[in-house]
Amino acid sequence: MSNSVSRREFMHLLGSTFGAGALVHMGAALSLMPNTATAASLSFAAPSPGKEKVLVLGAGISGLTVAWELTKAGYDCTVLEASNRAGGRVMTVRSGDVVDEIGNRQVCEWDDEPHMYFNAGAARIPSTHRNLLAYCKELGVELEMFINESKTAYVQDDAMMGGQRIRNGEMSTNVRGFLAELFAKSYTNAQLDEPFSDSESEKILGLISQFGDLNENMLYKGSYRAGYVSGGFLDHGVQKDMIAFKKLMQSQMLRLSFTANEGETGPMLMQPVGGMDGVIKGFTRALGEKVIYKAPVMGLTLKEGGVEVSYERDGVRQSIDADFCFNCIPSHLMSGIPNNFPSEYLQAMKYIRRGEAYKSAFQAKQRFWEDDDIYGGISWINAPIQQIWYPPHGIHKDKGIVLAAYNFGGGMHFTRMTQEQRVEAALAQGEKLHPNYREMVEKPITIAWHRMNHMLGCSGRWGNNGGDWSMETQSFFNRLQQATPGGRHYFIGDQMSYHGAWQESAIASAHWALADMDQRVRAQA
Amino acid sequence: MIKVVGLSVSLLMATIGSSAFAQANSEYYNDHYCTTCHGVDGIGNEEVSAPRLAGMEVWYLQRQLESFRAGIRGTHKMDLQGIEMRAMAEDLSDASIKDIVAWVGTWEFKPAPITFAGDAEAGKALYTACASCHGAQAQGNEAMGAPALAGQNDWYLATQLHNFKKAYRGRQPGDRFGSQMIVMASMLVDDTAIENIVSYINTLGR
Ligand SMILES: Cc1cc2nc3c(=O)[nH]c(=O)nc-3n(C[C@H](O)[C@H](O)[C@H](O)COP(=O)(O)OP(=O)(O)OC[C@H]3O[C@@H](n4cnc5c(N)ncnc54)[C@H](O)[C@@H]3O)c2cc1C
Ligand code: HEC
Ligand code: HEC
Repeated sequence: MSNSVSRREFMHLLGSTFGAGALVHMGAALSLMPNTATAASLSFAAPSPGKEKVLVLGAGISGLTVAWELTKAGYDCTVLEASNRAGGRVMTVRSGDVVDEIGNRQVCEWDDEPHMYFNAGAARIPSTHRNLLAYCKELGVELEMFINESKTAYVQDDAMMGGQRIRNGEMSTNVRGFLAELFAKSYTNAQLDEPFSDSESEKILGLISQFGDLNENMLYKGSYRAGYVSGGFLDHGVQKDMIAFKKLMQSQMLRLSFTANEGETGPMLMQPVGGMDGVIKGFTRALGEKVIYKAPVMGLTLKEGGVEVSYERDGVRQSIDADFCFNCIPSHLMSGIPNNFPSEYLQAMKYIRRGEAYKSAFQAKQRFWEDDDIYGGISWINAPIQQIWYPPHGIHKDKGIVLAAYNFGGGMHFTRMTQEQRVEAALAQGEKLHPNYREMVEKPITIAWHRMNHMLGCSGRWGNNGGDWSMETQSFFNRLQQATPGGRHYFIGDQMSYHGAWQESAIASAHWALADMDQRVRAQA
Repeated sequence: MIKVVGLSVSLLMATIGSSAFAQANSEYYNDHYCTTCHGVDGIGNEEVSAPRLAGMEVWYLQRQLESFRAGIRGTHKMDLQGIEMRAMAEDLSDASIKDIVAWVGTWEFKPAPITFAGDAEAGKALYTACASCHGAQAQGNEAMGAPALAGQNDWYLATQLHNFKKAYRGRQPGDRFGSQMIVMASMLVDDTAIENIVSYINTLGR
């Protein structure tokens, strides 16, 4: 028998090469990009007379979406926000800002310049998030490109090549070379379901060769794509040595060369000029006095034909009645606020788990990455900080803000540390990517979302992990998404979506609730 | 229509914290952190594992804040809930603790919702060992340094009994009060015993 490789065997080979789960990850990467509907063109019926009072609890982006849409439709909206600022998990830190982490309050002392900011929560906008982009356009929020992937950024793993950092492009080029050689070798004998003609085969082999930059013998011997050691312009370029796949495969980071920049976190994303809170300011500009700050909700009573909400302002407790109420207060905080929700609601609220994201940032005294051919993108490290982001904005200015850690899933590692421990960990790990890191950075800011006041978590988690939805999960979700009996109160926010941790999801939840309410209003008109 | 329903003592809280932060006027500074975790007026919030504070004895409240600050509570690395609370207490000054107690101590007693359904009869027998310190109605006894247990969140009482059993609480140097509970908790042989005794405490003082 020939040494032909069947598709199943090949998938097996891939699986064992990249470790268990690699295939699942590759598969998941493809479905990571949910199909967003066309930016909703919303139009709501005018309120019925005497039924125009709307209360929005929490000035998260979902709450602001509701307030803005219903204001346009002629409703009288009030937004109650506990914090001094709107936006919740859309938070941009600049000079003078206080980071309101419980037990670790920090004041930002960075240079006061427009490009010296840090998006501590949401930071990236994919081009497929049509509703969010539509609001940016409508509200005059200027956008610029965000660079997610840079081939000149680094990858480091103590388990790989003695801990030596390599460029992203070295990783991906050498992995592609290896895979292409493997494809080419197995192709000739591959038993394909559908045989190809000779000329088709030639095309396919050409593609494989191009994919991995193979030589004329269909072997991979290194590629200029991984970068030059020297020369290239006035001297002949000296290509970097190829790195054997066997070395690269020692690293847990290998799968990143395929999945990190796929789907919603593609190489090209967007950000508002001057900080992600530009989106929030777009809404609050439009809403003006309707947003009441430092007004924590203290109680909620569902009543016949409406909702009564009590809140505190300047130490005075007040109460306010409304015909409709939209609520984006994180469910785990809402359960500490007296309410008369039906018991099946309370049960569903209990079901959602809190997220744990952690981020930190430094002011860089110099844009040292630019001296190293890096202009944006992410370096990856197999250590708790996981990532270093280089700002794509402020190019060639004196200083910049680097993201020094981004731990989305297991953020409790840093959360439980003191500020000093967090900073030292970021420096010690960052040094593996940039030997002069410690000298180059200063003025740390750390954000443990699990401890942030009025938030105490990141995105609510429904399943055990991302896609794992049981029937039970689904029924709890459905219950909480519906208006309370009588149709006066809706839970909104990315907690009421299948795809947490995106602003688009929060907006989508708001649109769902608005459409449901509108249907009820029209039915009663 | 907006109606004023009551003045809050939380105005007092404006004094808490160092002046460096007070200057950062872009953030609101008046400290309401307790209610973020422990719920409005300290009703407790199971979703963030923070127990009811409403109606807690001020002497016990003050001692716990001091214990968390001193690391007598919330330092064992497996004591995940205690660690959350310690983050809050670690940097409090004596003056802050005084202000906090003056504020939190005004919250009216509201028994926590019952979530356990153990065998209260069986728990009653076990509770006889506890009454000498915590009182027959679990109403607490300042002279013994033992707090009221009645009306406290049942899941929280169970966590604490587990914590005492596993020595996450009560074994830190200087824990004069918590150490008394080590032996007592060890008498509750398994999870069922804990569930039963807490279910019995649920029947008291309501
Ligand atoms: C680290 C991190 C990275 C992220 N990255 C991205 C990204 O790159 N791109 C992206 O699109 N999204 C990202 N997200 C997700 C995005 O930030 C959220 O999905 C979105 O902001 C959630 O909005 P929301 O409407 O659900 O409300 P939230 O932002 O959860 O707001 C809730 C609001 O309720 C308020 N509140 C709480 N208690 C009370 C009370 N008692 N009374 C009144 N108000 C109260 C809070 O102060 C807050 O303003 C990220 C999030 C995090 C944490
Ligand atoms: C970050 C959330 C958080 C904040 C903020 C917080 N607590 Fe706690 N607190 C907790 C948790 C969680 C526990 C439970 C600890 C355990 O299970 O051991 C707790 C426990 C306590 C206890 C012990 C109760 C007992 O019966 O022994 C007291 C007292 C207390 N907190 C008071 C306060 C006060 C007063 C404030 C405000 C100054 C406050 N807490 C702020 C989370 C918090
Ligand atoms: C010798 C006196 C004594 C006896 C007997 C005793 N306790 Fe305690 N208990 C205490 C003291 C003192 C504390 C307070 C510890 C501290 O301050 O940290 C306490 C605390 C507790 C707590 C934690 C309360 C809180 O709010 O965190 C629980 C729960 C508890 N006891 C349950 C019991 C049970 C159940 C029994 C019987 C099996 C019992 N105790 C018997 C003295 C006693």
